[in-house]
Amino acid sequence: MFPFRVEIKPGAPVYEQVIHAVRKAVLKGQLLPGSRFPSVRQISQELRINPNTAHKIVALLTAEGLLAVQPGLGTVVQKPPRASAENRAALLKVDLEHLVVEAKGLSITLSEITRALEQHWEKIS
Amino acid sequence: MIEPVISAENLGKAFGPVEALRGTSFTVPRGCIYGLLGPNGAGKTTTIKILMNLLRPSAGRAEVLGRDSKNLGWRDFQRIGYVSENQLMPDDMRVGELLDYLEPYYPTWDAALCNELLQQLELPRDRRMKNLSRGMKMKASLLASLAFRPELVVLDEPFSGLDPVIREDFSRGLLSTVSESEWTIFLSSHDIEEVERLCDWVGIMSPGRLLVSEPLEDLLRRFQRIDVTLPAPPTPAIDWGADVLRAETSGVTVSLVHQRYSGDATLAELRAKIPPSSTLYPAPMTLRDIYLSFVRKHQSSNP
Repeated sequence: MFPFRVEIKPGAPVYEQVIHAVRKAVLKGQLLPGSRFPSVRQISQELRINPNTAHKIVALLTAEGLLAVQPGLGTVVQKPPRASAENRAALLKVDLEHLVVEAKGLSITLSEITRALEQHWEKIS
Repeated sequence: MIEPVISAENLGKAFGPVEALRGTSFTVPRGCIYGLLGPNGAGKTTTIKILMNLLRPSAGRAEVLGRDSKNLGWRDFQRIGYVSENQLMPDDMRVGELLDYLEPYYPTWDAALCNELLQQLELPRDRRMKNLSRGMKMKASLLASLAFRPELVVLDEPFSGLDPVIREDFSRGLLSTVSESEWTIFLSSHDIEEVERLCDWVGIMSPGRLLVSEPLEDLLRRFQRIDVTLPAPPTPAIDWGADVLRAETSGVTVSLVHQRYSGDATLAELRAKIPPSSTLYPAPMTLRDIYLSFVRKHQSSNP
């Protein structure tokens, strides 16, 4: 089975969307450190994306330290970096930006949006 | 620089008085998946037929795998896989018979890959071609043009009329073979979402002309929609400059399509043209938005 889920939507670059999904899966504990990461070919086929894009995804995640190449094993998921509260917050950055832009467009104030957030928070938790 | 797999210089084609293609120049680098988008009648198939030496250009020239397209012959087609929408197939042959028949024509035919693709594309070896559905037929012709590991695969409207499941099978079949070697794929399509996923280079055609040809990432980066809200309806109309492809005004809001967006510098440039109390909201565009902006712009300027 493919170890992480991503629904690719038009608009944002495909590699950003997939990298975001991988980071999320690692931080949520769905992709465990030490487990094998799919190959470029598997990523390309499974997600139906350009092989060059799949290659770029693996290269960027490797540069970031989230993946490492282990001889004989292939690409392996690494322990996520320590400052994880910050990393977790970074995952919401795009959604937050979107929310702020929409709110400003509709002339909703910061306190109104904070209140709305709190209400939703209560509803769900 | 590595020699491109395809390069076209000023290609033109006239059918009698009708100019189907004018001044079309582009290159397709090795190892990329190039998607050619355009409305019906834009000249996509004409371009592909010239590249495949099925049509002679009336002007300009094209090189394919280092050869003038006008001189492409059977030896070259041992290195090129070509699938077109309405390909003629030997109807009475079974799928397996067709593959056995084709094999000796290609020195590089890979029987193992052929079997792998048969399974992956779920094609029945013993079914006659005439009894295959449209989707199955397309998959069979894809298989026939991939099994000899061509350097270049040319697909004319491969997704049109395929149901979503077959379309996925088709894309996966294509990707399973390209991702292990440096193959180049050149395809034309109406399916913008599929092109946005699969392709790393795109070209956009509007009747007879190629309007853009560049890496998809560059295109998505430089295009931006900017919604401007003005204090009052703009009279006279504002001159936004040549970098704005389209400007649609409705009351006090103007929706701009900017084609050379560079963040704050662009916004500052635009701000200088409008009253200080206006607001500007930039938002990224999808390939579909960009495509439609080009086509609509062309339609409104050439009635």
